[in-house]
Amino acid sequence: MRNSIVFMVSLLVLIPLLNACKKVIKLELNTATPQIVIEGNIYDQPGPYVVKIFKSVNFDQSSIYPPVTGATVIIRDSSGHSDQLTENQPGSYLTSMTTGMPGESYSLSVTTTDGQSYTANSTMPDPVSIGKIYFQNSLIGHNIYPGITFADPANISNYYRLVLFLNNVRQPDMNVTDDRLSEGKTITYLIRLRDTDIKLITGDLVAIWLESVDKGVYEYFRTAGREGGQSASPANPTSNISNGALGYFNACSVRSLSSKVP
Amino acid sequence: MNRRTGVFALFFLVLVLPVFAQQRLTISGQIKDAVTGEDLIGAVLSIKDLPTKSIGTNTYGFYSVTLPEGSYEITAQYTGYKPQVQQIKLDRSLKLNFSLTEQPRELDEVVVYGRRKDENVTKTRMGLQKLNTREIKNIPVLFGEKDVLKTIQLLPGIQAAGEGRSGFNVRGGSADQNLILLDEAIVYNASHLMGFFSVFNSDAIKDISVYKGNEPAEYGGRLSSVLDIKMNDGNDKKFSLSGGIGLISSRLLFEGPIVKGRGSFIISARRTYADLFLKASKDTSINQARLYFYDLNAKANYRINDMNRIYLSGYFGKDVLGFGNTFGINWGNSTGTLRWNHLFSERLFSNTSLIFSNYDYQININSGVKMNIISRIRDYTVKQDFQYFGGTNNSLKFGFSESYHQIIPGAITAITNVSLKSLTNKYALEHALYISHLYSFTEKFSLEYGLRFGLFNLMGPGNFYTYNKAGDITNTATMGSGDFVKSYFNPEPRFTLNHILNQQNSLKGSYARNVQNLHLLSNSTSGNPTDLWIPSSNNVKPEISDQVSFGYYRNFNENKYEFSTEIYYKSLQNQIDYKNGAELNFNENVESQILFGKGRAYGLELFLKKKSGRLNGWISYTLSRTERKFDEINKGAYFPARQDRLHDIAIVGIYDLSKRWTLSATWVYYTGNAVTFPSGKYEIDGKTMFYYKDRNANRMPAYHRLDIGATWIRKKTAKFESGWTFSLYNAYGHENPYMITFQDNKTDPTRTEAVQTTLFKFVPSFTYNFKF
Repeated sequence: MRNSIVFMVSLLVLIPLLNACKKVIKLELNTATPQIVIEGNIYDQPGPYVVKIFKSVNFDQSSIYPPVTGATVIIRDSSGHSDQLTENQPGSYLTSMTTGMPGESYSLSVTTTDGQSYTANSTMPDPVSIGKIYFQNSLIGHNIYPGITFADPANISNYYRLVLFLNNVRQPDMNVTDDRLSEGKTITYLIRLRDTDIKLITGDLVAIWLESVDKGVYEYFRTAGREGGQSASPANPTSNISNGALGYFNACSVRSLSSKVP
Repeated sequence: MNRRTGVFALFFLVLVLPVFAQQRLTISGQIKDAVTGEDLIGAVLSIKDLPTKSIGTNTYGFYSVTLPEGSYEITAQYTGYKPQVQQIKLDRSLKLNFSLTEQPRELDEVVVYGRRKDENVTKTRMGLQKLNTREIKNIPVLFGEKDVLKTIQLLPGIQAAGEGRSGFNVRGGSADQNLILLDEAIVYNASHLMGFFSVFNSDAIKDISVYKGNEPAEYGGRLSSVLDIKMNDGNDKKFSLSGGIGLISSRLLFEGPIVKGRGSFIISARRTYADLFLKASKDTSINQARLYFYDLNAKANYRINDMNRIYLSGYFGKDVLGFGNTFGINWGNSTGTLRWNHLFSERLFSNTSLIFSNYDYQININSGVKMNIISRIRDYTVKQDFQYFGGTNNSLKFGFSESYHQIIPGAITAITNVSLKSLTNKYALEHALYISHLYSFTEKFSLEYGLRFGLFNLMGPGNFYTYNKAGDITNTATMGSGDFVKSYFNPEPRFTLNHILNQQNSLKGSYARNVQNLHLLSNSTSGNPTDLWIPSSNNVKPEISDQVSFGYYRNFNENKYEFSTEIYYKSLQNQIDYKNGAELNFNENVESQILFGKGRAYGLELFLKKKSGRLNGWISYTLSRTERKFDEINKGAYFPARQDRLHDIAIVGIYDLSKRWTLSATWVYYTGNAVTFPSGKYEIDGKTMFYYKDRNANRMPAYHRLDIGATWIRKKTAKFESGWTFSLYNAYGHENPYMITFQDNKTDPTRTEAVQTTLFKFVPSFTYNFKF
């Protein structure tokens, strides 16, 4: 619902752009010292899981991000079990844990070779199943958008993240919603494709993951999805990792459903 | 009352008392247009034997002057009108009305622009810009829709908010720090269609004054400026129909007498019709779209007798945007003002106003969920103003106002599948008491000083939360209906001193404090109709500004040229910014998303205007800095506000080519806005993310643009007039960036690029105008 309002408001803003002309320009942008980026997920589905650690680069550099190697990465659960991750590729650390448990709190601790340490906590909520996938014509641009409906569990605050796969390719859009405005009701969420070059056609395979995430992860993806030209004050997403690291640590339960575009 | 205000009050009494000690004879009356009967605001009377004295009419065209017994030659004059001279023998108080006729446009003659030729030098007020609709008429604008808000942006210290926009910033203030009044009623959202048009139909407007922060004590409520717009009263001599047909919109105006010479009415309407073209499209994603606005201005006045006159005026406007049955949004203002002018004596003028003001929007969604959202801000105000005319060197204004504000942040109806609750409504009272005195000590010095007391009460019912720095609720107070949640009392002293060096030169200095208790939450680059107004509360303190300014004014070449320069320094308290990722939409705890800080703005303004001859116009230049400071942003250091602009230049030229043709051109140049561009990049789940370091550390490219226009009077007789206006916006097609976005290169995903979006290159337009 709120998603619809935000969409409408952004549509208002976009109206003047319908006839606008665009061109690539050269800008002298500021540089920054490389920042550490940590990205970790734990699911209630069979593992192992990966924690990726790398560094940011300047805007005009190639988008190849230097891995952070040799870090000590540990994930603990609330009963004190600890799992030291092993680096299977540079900057990519694997758990030995097999399956995450809903209700469990996990803490991530990363210590890099230069002695900096970063921590994060995430609690895995109970899974929520997808009711159905539906398709709807877009209002502008002749496209088909996929959406899902699902029943929000009553009496608790729920936060969701949706991940879209088109013909088995994971799409980079960030879609999150909460139940603040639809507590205990059926939630309808339409995924509006940001990339106007992607058009769905009959027969395309659409798979959607519904991740039940905790508030910190929701805040991360909500603020990350905000990034764009219309905010008067673009800023980094609100991370749930300490010590100024970029990225997130997400323990979530996930349910998925797939369907062909009719 | 603190010590400072006590001293002020004493000072006041000392200067005011002599006013009442004088016993002389009074001349009073109205100055009007001889043809239409419109009151002339700010027309000037000058008295031959007292060359340094001039008396202006007030906003109702009324004047009063008290003189010793004797014989006088009195001249009434007004912009572009023939002066009128009367010889009088003053042996008792008398009524003296003037009816001025418009100066015919003879090219060889000198047309006087400017009320009194040297008003710029002799008037005490500073930081004031005045325009009348004659000056607006010829200036080319986007889509050919002449627009007061776009025209004032060409004056020093007043910045355009962005490409083609009617929004403006005054001396570093934000958009919500402008008090915009239409016949005394507050207009909360002065723009149509995402800001490309203002809500003010220039057909219906008589007079515009912009006060840049040092307004007289009768105004209050916003930090940066007052834009005071007065609507036309209507022709009280004969009926008249006029209008215009343009590419984007059409206008129609009907006016006439209610009772000849005693009362008149005016109705003016405007509608855009872009949606009719959309309907013609075969494309279903376009022909179901609705997109238009309309507005209606109406006013009536009636003179009951010489002592009493009433006015009723109203504005109603709406923007409609939607798509089939799936969704719709509409928003608009409505205002209403009922006024009663009463003369207690020929020296004491009174005006009583009942004012209604409303801004609302409605959203309908019927896609997956079905719901309506309504949001509204509504004011009811009673205002009483007195004006006491002393001798030739004294005048006193005092009065009060009482306002009741009612804010519905978001109310939900007709819901399926949503458990949305309406947000708590907000209620507030705003009281103001003011007094202001204009006093000429000597022929060389005059002082206008005043004091405004403002009291603001936020009232229940509802739950009122207190938040800590992290935004968590630390306390909840449940208040009943009418309970006072929080009150703020603020005295606002203001004064301006004018030192007239001689008839051509003067120096002025001023100080003013302004207080603002209603704040607009807006975190987008362009502003949205859904931006929310919130009152001061236990979390949100009143915004306060203190401005000091100095100016030098000079007229030369027999007042043909007018030059002024002002410097100002402004300090701002309790300014508002937003936390990263702030959720301002439909949030009961929206006050937890706000940051509070301070600001400063300073600058130099230069203005040179040529007021007469075939070529007239002006050059305006502003050199300025605007900064803000928040603990949570840029490590608590001062940073440039978005509207910080080092240079802002406007050149306006209007040339009378012949009796039928008038040519015009404007050129503007300004430093790009302060913006936040990425300092680095990284990747999350396969998506390129940008890393941001310091707020507003980057600049948009400088903006510049030339517009040209022409007005052609095709036919002009006593019965019928018609003509065309042509304009070309951005005549040399410079690609000014509307926004700059960052994205992956489509062909080489390892590269990222900056993309500039330009809105308007070469926008031609033409309008056919007629008048019966």
